[in-house]
Amino acid sequence: MKLMKSILLAAALTALGQARAAVPVAKIQAMLAKPPVMCGRFDQSKQLAGMKKPLAANGRFCVVAGKGVLWRTLQPFPSTLRLTRDEIVNYQGDRVAMRLDAKTEPTVRMINNVLFSLLSGDLGQLETLFEVDGTVDASSWSVMLKPRQAALEKAIGTIKLDGGAYVKTIVMGDAAGDRTTIVFSAIQSGEAAMSKEEAALF
Amino acid sequence: MIRTRQLALLWAFAVCLLLGHNAYLWLVQRIVPDTDIMALLPVQERDPLLQQSFSHMVDAAQQRVVVLVGAADWEDARRAADAYGAVLAARKDVFEATPINEQTQSDWLSLFQRHRLALLTAQQEAQLRHQPAQFWLEAALNKLYSPFGGPNLGSWREDPFGLFAGWVQERAQETPVRPRDGHLFVADAQRQYVLLPLTLKVPALSMTAQDTVLPLLKQAGDAARKATPQVELIQAGVILHAANASAQASGEVSTIGIGSLLGIVLLMWFAFHSFKPISLILLSIGIGCLGALSVCWLLFGRVHLMTLVFGASLIGVAQDYGIYFLCNRLAADEQLASPALLKRLLPGLGLTLLAAVIGYMGLALTPFPGLRQMAVFSALGLVFAWLTVVCWFPALIGSRTLKSGALVRGYGAALLRWPLLRANRTTLLAAVAFALAAGYGISRLGANDDIRLLQNPPKHLIADQLKLSKLLDAPTPVQYFLVRGDSVETVLQREEALKARLDLMAAGRRISGYQAMSNWVPSARTQAVRLALVEEKLLADGGPLQAIAAQTGEDAQWIAATAGGLRAAGAPLTLEDFLKTPASEPWRHLWLGETNGVYASIVALRGLSNAAVPQVKQAADGLPGVQWVDKVAEISSVLGRYREYMGWVVLGAYVVVFALLFPRYRRRTWRVLAPTALASIATLALLGFASQNLQLFHVLALMLLLGVGVDYGIFMQEHPDRRDRTPWLAVGMSAANTILSFGLLGLSSTPALQAFGLTMLLGTALVWLIVPCFGSTKESNND
Repeated sequence: MKLMKSILLAAALTALGQARAAVPVAKIQAMLAKPPVMCGRFDQSKQLAGMKKPLAANGRFCVVAGKGVLWRTLQPFPSTLRLTRDEIVNYQGDRVAMRLDAKTEPTVRMINNVLFSLLSGDLGQLETLFEVDGTVDASSWSVMLKPRQAALEKAIGTIKLDGGAYVKTIVMGDAAGDRTTIVFSAIQSGEAAMSKEEAALF
Repeated sequence: MIRTRQLALLWAFAVCLLLGHNAYLWLVQRIVPDTDIMALLPVQERDPLLQQSFSHMVDAAQQRVVVLVGAADWEDARRAADAYGAVLAARKDVFEATPINEQTQSDWLSLFQRHRLALLTAQQEAQLRHQPAQFWLEAALNKLYSPFGGPNLGSWREDPFGLFAGWVQERAQETPVRPRDGHLFVADAQRQYVLLPLTLKVPALSMTAQDTVLPLLKQAGDAARKATPQVELIQAGVILHAANASAQASGEVSTIGIGSLLGIVLLMWFAFHSFKPISLILLSIGIGCLGALSVCWLLFGRVHLMTLVFGASLIGVAQDYGIYFLCNRLAADEQLASPALLKRLLPGLGLTLLAAVIGYMGLALTPFPGLRQMAVFSALGLVFAWLTVVCWFPALIGSRTLKSGALVRGYGAALLRWPLLRANRTTLLAAVAFALAAGYGISRLGANDDIRLLQNPPKHLIADQLKLSKLLDAPTPVQYFLVRGDSVETVLQREEALKARLDLMAAGRRISGYQAMSNWVPSARTQAVRLALVEEKLLADGGPLQAIAAQTGEDAQWIAATAGGLRAAGAPLTLEDFLKTPASEPWRHLWLGETNGVYASIVALRGLSNAAVPQVKQAADGLPGVQWVDKVAEISSVLGRYREYMGWVVLGAYVVVFALLFPRYRRRTWRVLAPTALASIATLALLGFASQNLQLFHVLALMLLLGVGVDYGIFMQEHPDRRDRTPWLAVGMSAANTILSFGLLGLSSTPALQAFGLTMLLGTALVWLIVPCFGSTKESNND
């Protein structure tokens, strides 16, 4: 849940230096399938400081190249987040709970860009904002993203990405002790991956 | 003869003083003329606070230069902006770049975070009143479960319902500018721009500063283009307009001045076949200009560039006296000594000076400091030129100095063929036809009192300005609401009452938004009301906070801790605290503070179109302490009022001049004034036929035309015999020169000067043509 904040901040921060990390980003890039359309299931578990139980949620997500991201929480209650080039909209049921328009909020396009990179594992893009460090073997990879700016790190801590042909898990943890784990499964690619309902939402 | 010599020596002494003073001014003191167009506008003393608010807004804007460096790709734009900035960074004595500091960014939030519970948007307040508890429960859970639940500015528990985040988002939308990669960023659909806000360390209105800054900006622009060839540069700032106005005025001073001089030199050569009269006339004009500058500087302590532009046209009038003397010398008997000739001419010469000075003094009656200065400058210039003619010419020009040429003979002969008005049927018919045509023409005259008459910036500056204000959605500094009250709280409450109406205007798209101090610091009353709402609707027993705990399996202790954390941030935010933090820096100009027990603030409007002004300004109606301020309309109304007022002054001046001339000319007095009056009417009619709109500067020109035209009338009436060609020659030569100088003023790109020049051009030509028709018939010679 701090992702949005981190992205907003990240967008505001200077990419210091262009030093490339030791990890072979090119190797990971080659391993990623990067389909034009990709949908799947996510299971999210949030452990917040000051709350006893972890908060579990699940739903479906779609990442469409050149278009954006659709994030549909189904459990414990339905909520849809749609990020496109021109706006970010959050629906609670049919009601628009939040809308950010690129016309009035110019960072919308950057947020969309970073989020798209995270979900599709585009480390080349992420490298401008994060130091990338990790390991690669034959069929999987694992990287830690450490914000290049100290202030950003203080705010969101680090992000851990695991994957193979696709990103499999994202773990975000910050200094305050909040921790969000998102596990992706049942990933399908190609036009058929998107249900009619989802296509209509885009 | 001895008296002539004494007089000449005395004047030589005065001229030496003038030269010394001028040398001191230009060489030692190194004076620079003003270029500030605002200095030409009337000073209004009726409401000091209003005046203060305006200078406050203008001062804030005056020293700023805003540059947008844009490209389709952000990296390209950034590279170009860095190249641009590097050039300016080398001149820290000229520009002060505003650093973008990460630290201020987080400080920015921390003050509000400490008072967040009472900071709600108007929409949120309405939702709190009307939405059920379920709405807030869903909102909080949505935010809790969603990984990207919207801009979040602390932990979820610090703002479980997202109210503070919404408030910050609304604040952020007061400007589309965002920090990005250590730059300020703004974008439209085509391009991404780096915003470079620059503050000048040198005064924007000084010409020396302009000479430093403009080449520097050009150099920076070249560097940016080198870094990114397809870069788009948008620049705006008062200094760009000021520099343009100075360059334009300087250019016009030289074209009008040089053109006028050339005309005079050529005419003189053809008339007198000698360079001596030319140099004498130039001498009288030169002493006139230097003397005017000297005394003006002593009187005002400054001289405006527009005064000098207008003063350049002085050449056209100052020559009249010299020409009149020379023409008479040419025609006079060689036996008649020059001092005796002067003695004979003195009454006529004196009257011409008096009439012209009265003409110029009419300008001094306006409340425009600039016009007053021009009037004083011109009148002084005429007096100095006149004195030069009277004191020096008789001593310098002997009775055999001048020879007449073929041009003079040919031109002089034309007078005999000129029609002479007599009381007969033809005259009556001509009068009726003239009256009808003039009446129709004048009835077609519209009026235009737009402030843009005073300054006419080139298209590219306007285009840049428009694009910039569209991209930045910045408020206009000349139209705003002024809010007053006897305490800070009263001012904030009155702002809020105004904002409630402005919200309706924004919903109707008449404005895109507004900037106000109460956006950041709501009144204590509003904060208390909102705090009570949050308590009642969100934190109370059985409310949404408890429902969240039930959903997430938390206990009463958690509820108490969460509510306690929120309440700890419930202390009201005060204006004093806000003004102390760097976060208030961009908004401080809206707060005018306390003056004599009255507190005042400005509510500035974004996206206000001219068409919407009549409706938007009504928002102040009936609200105590709220006043609509529209500097544009105010100046236009002043221009309009003075156009009418000056019209009456012109008519009054005719009466005064008539009274002045009557003792000398008696029943012929009307013949002196009639040509000028008819020419003025005909000029107005012609302007009407040309679909021109009447403005103050046409009327001012008519005033001056009176001064010039009466000269010609006097010349003609001083020599009533039609066979005497002397006055006709003097009229012709001075009218030709006046037309040359004012005709060139008609080429000015400043609409005001152009109107002035055109009126003078038409008017002088018409007086020249009409004046022989009013020559006396022989019978009246015996008067």
